Amino acid sequence: MTNPSPTANSIKSGRWVRSTCKMCLHSCSNMIHVTDDGIINKIEGDPTNPSNNGKLCPKGNSAILRHYDPRRFKEPLKRTNPEKGPGIDPKWEPISWDEAFEITAREIKKSLDEDPRKILPSLEDFQKMHIWFWPLAIGCHNFYQSGGTMCGGAYHPMNGYIHSAFGCANDAKYCNYWINNGTGDGFSSHLHAAAQSNWVAKARIDRGMRVVSVEPRLSIGSAKADEWVPIRPATDRHFALGMSHVLVNEGLCDFDFLRKDSNAPYLVGPDGYFVRDTEKQIYVWDSKDNCAKLWNDPTLENDNLALEGNYTVNGVECRPAFQVYKDILAECSPEEMEKITTVPAETTRRIAREFSEAAKIGQTIKIEDGRTVPLRPAAYNYYRGAQGRKLGAQTNQAFKLVNMLIGNIDTPGGHMGVTIDDGQVDNNHVEMGECGQMLGTPHQLGHMPEFAYPTNEYHLASHFPNGVNAPHLNLLVHENREYWGVEFTPDVIVNCHSNPVWSIQGPREKWVKFLKDMRFIVCVDVVPNEMTDFADVILPSSDVLETWNCTMIEPPHTEGQCFRQPATDPIYNTKSEEEIFYELSERLGCLEAYNSVINMILGFEQKPELQLDLDKKYTDREIARRKGLLWNGKDIDWYMEHGHSVTERRLDKWYRPWEGMRLNFYIEDMLKERDGLKAKMEAMKTPYINDWPFDDFQPLPTARLDTLHTLPEEYNLYAITFKDIQLNFGESLSNPWIRDIVFRDPVHTGLLINTATAAKMGFEAGDVVKVESPYGHLYGRLQTTEGMHPDAIGVSNALSRTKSENTYVAMSGGHFNDMLPYDMENTDAASGQPETTTKVKLTKLDDWPDFLKQGGSIYDFVDELETKKGKGGQH
Amino acid sequence: MKRGMVFDLRRCIGCNACVVACKQENSLPDGVFFTKTLSEEYGVYPAANRVYIPTLCNHCEDAPCEKVCPSGATYTRDDGIVMVDDALCIGCGTCAVACPYDQRSQMDADNLKDGMYGGGNLTEFEKDGYGRWTPGTVTKCDFCSQRVDVGLEPACVVTCPTDARIFGDLDDPNSAPNKLIRERGGQPALAEKNTKPKVYYVD
Repeated sequence: MTNPSPTANSIKSGRWVRSTCKMCLHSCSNMIHVTDDGIINKIEGDPTNPSNNGKLCPKGNSAILRHYDPRRFKEPLKRTNPEKGPGIDPKWEPISWDEAFEITAREIKKSLDEDPRKILPSLEDFQKMHIWFWPLAIGCHNFYQSGGTMCGGAYHPMNGYIHSAFGCANDAKYCNYWINNGTGDGFSSHLHAAAQSNWVAKARIDRGMRVVSVEPRLSIGSAKADEWVPIRPATDRHFALGMSHVLVNEGLCDFDFLRKDSNAPYLVGPDGYFVRDTEKQIYVWDSKDNCAKLWNDPTLENDNLALEGNYTVNGVECRPAFQVYKDILAECSPEEMEKITTVPAETTRRIAREFSEAAKIGQTIKIEDGRTVPLRPAAYNYYRGAQGRKLGAQTNQAFKLVNMLIGNIDTPGGHMGVTIDDGQVDNNHVEMGECGQMLGTPHQLGHMPEFAYPTNEYHLASHFPNGVNAPHLNLLVHENREYWGVEFTPDVIVNCHSNPVWSIQGPREKWVKFLKDMRFIVCVDVVPNEMTDFADVILPSSDVLETWNCTMIEPPHTEGQCFRQPATDPIYNTKSEEEIFYELSERLGCLEAYNSVINMILGFEQKPELQLDLDKKYTDREIARRKGLLWNGKDIDWYMEHGHSVTERRLDKWYRPWEGMRLNFYIEDMLKERDGLKAKMEAMKTPYINDWPFDDFQPLPTARLDTLHTLPEEYNLYAITFKDIQLNFGESLSNPWIRDIVFRDPVHTGLLINTATAAKMGFEAGDVVKVESPYGHLYGRLQTTEGMHPDAIGVSNALSRTKSENTYVAMSGGHFNDMLPYDMENTDAASGQPETTTKVKLTKLDDWPDFLKQGGSIYDFVDELETKKGKGGQH
Repeated sequence: MKRGMVFDLRRCIGCNACVVACKQENSLPDGVFFTKTLSEEYGVYPAANRVYIPTLCNHCEDAPCEKVCPSGATYTRDDGIVMVDDALCIGCGTCAVACPYDQRSQMDADNLKDGMYGGGNLTEFEKDGYGRWTPGTVTKCDFCSQRVDVGLEPACVVTCPTDARIFGDLDDPNSAPNKLIRERGGQPALAEKNTKPKVYYVD
């Protein structure tokens, strides 16, 4: 007897194409199966890539349905309905590519010729940086995409200061004590989620690595951890300060590392700056000779560098940077911090001691390249949830310093810098800075423009000397143009693979008005979403299975290039992003400028033979070819066969790439940036100078509370949002397979509230409620759980989609982002990071609001599943 | 040869990659799952936790579904995989009632016709794959028998990010699943049902 079926998908007659996933921004190598009939019917991970080891997450497994989504844009479209709004039919009319380009170039040019600042770009193809940076070719520094908001607004600059790298990860290869604070690193999120969870599972099971997870919600990572430490939202910095207090006051630090490999011994004066001689060289204190010496004095021995004490040098009272931190930490005992975090002081003390003990301070390891380096198998990682604070820079630094105190930075088993894409294999990402210190590189995505008043950028980019772009501020400026003195009005949005009206914080109705104020919006995209509802023209892009590319985005442990090649010709009348932006550039007269931008962004400048000719247009295939050549000199045929050039990261770049330099324990640059900005604001007579939050710039973290904690008492719960691996780093809810798993999980369909809290407040599971912050609101249904901190309510990102033309995407009762602020009181001046937690109050409703009674909501979908249960078969 | 699987509950992160890989490999319509990851919360805050439990057909040696099948559609291969012959299945659903593990799914004719996006607008992927299924039959996981026959592991196993699914020969004492069962005390689910599952769990 045989199964009457034709064969299962992956063993049907066909061919396998080696390529790269793009269901999120990261870049797992995959293999795409194409049948003899040209149907793509299976995608698997490529086992030859040591990063993802043949593994794919559920999103990567779902890519086929993005390709075959019947709602894909199949040809260029022009709006015929002048009325724009969520879910309002644009009444698309198909047009030719030539007409689409003609209209788009004409409308952009109208504004561009007047003032490039009238263009608002929102280009978010993270695997194609050369598309992202297209605005530079038209001389525009506006920014209207979500990178920097819910992403790492403060995270990336701080990684730049501490590691001179874009991202960070713990070293799963050697780590034995893994603290996750507000991150799912190794379980459900952070960098290369499927790949990293493979590495971390090996460490957990094969080596018995202990995992401690500190966060308000019992996430997947907390459920798998050896210990879940629930914490009140938005107080993670205070937990880190409490741990640091214990490490410092109980002498549990790696003092040799701090003396030799950091600037912790450098002497700090009363103004916060290092104490220098006339040649700008920095003083330290020699405790043996009991005198000040310059940092590079040949008579100095590391062992004699004072980390503690108060001194006077050339009449200036000063302390080593370490002592400055110790003085800050004096106020941060675990008992004091418990009042803020609710984490029992004894728990904090125990974890700090365990962490230091696991770090094996003093031990070394011989690694394969022959070097003997410190072994520090304990590390503390964190991400969005913990770091997305008003005081984001200080918060990130507090986490870094827990690591630095035990000397584990870029060290086997420790806390590692992760570069975004080295470009070529021999590039090192570290440079020497001033006075023996590693150069801090907070501008991992390029420098911010020069400060100007009135502002030249609608989102005030030049006001953030350290930062990543803060797109929520577009709304702040738009609503109060007079206050900000802005002299131009953006009226054209160029949007590519970006959904800012969904992903940027601030109330939807205000963003909808913002979009309606635009004269012309063009969207380059694959499927409809909340943003394309506002487009005047759609330029349909080919998808990941139809195009070429070459990159590897922030991989922990590995490096190289992941190659994308078409498994099929485009199945619709679509074009690659390169073709679209080259054509627009030519029509706008900025082709030469665009090629210059690409030469810089992709690093082709480093090899003259790879530089693009300025007057030519290039295909996605040719750009990918040159990126492969740049990495390792291999031409496109080699990449088409091998699919990637990924290896484990070269040890000289992974472990202590800054050998011989001192890391920035104390970030004096923060003060330089603060004072530089202040001086420019003064010189340009900036009227809001006295309201600007300069205090956010600190060389060391403080225990100052973030603004949200001061909201009125009627807002009696903290609201947090979260994603899991099915949802993060990309849009996936338009995918039937993802929908089929996400909305069967109560974690993603209800507003999560602690059972006892609900009872105390008079609520029950299943209650329909309105959730209100001072800024906005949403509706939902309560799901009680023991897995939430009693002070918090959790809203999955699955409950975020609002009405759009894509009716397949189930609608929620509003978006968590609606409830977040978009003001400077809640934005970190030292990084641009906005606050991503808020406080809310709940009101029980008798019924759903009208807009959720029209069908098509998540709750309809969930209720239908419930009805189907028990009727035979699995539902 | 007795093919079986072990789930390492410590490794499983409930990501559902296996679930989607299975749907992909087998062109399963909306609402049909040959494997699922269940999750269950336990304990009281702050000592609360959640466990993720992968499930699929247990390929029981004394398979109740096989015993009750009136048409002989359910049978066991020599290598222990419990199969369903769609050509013989009359869709009575007796197997679904008999299965203590809730692993039988009826191929709903409407779902196969409507497609995942609804309205009968089948994608090329669905047109290519749905022909495999006979509407009305009550089917289930077959350990990707056709992959196994050509030396590949089941689709759910190869994609699992944490290697939580270990597949192999339970007759071979040195096979990976047997080693794990031995070393960490593997147990089948619902052992009291006495169906002799070839799927084990280690914690």
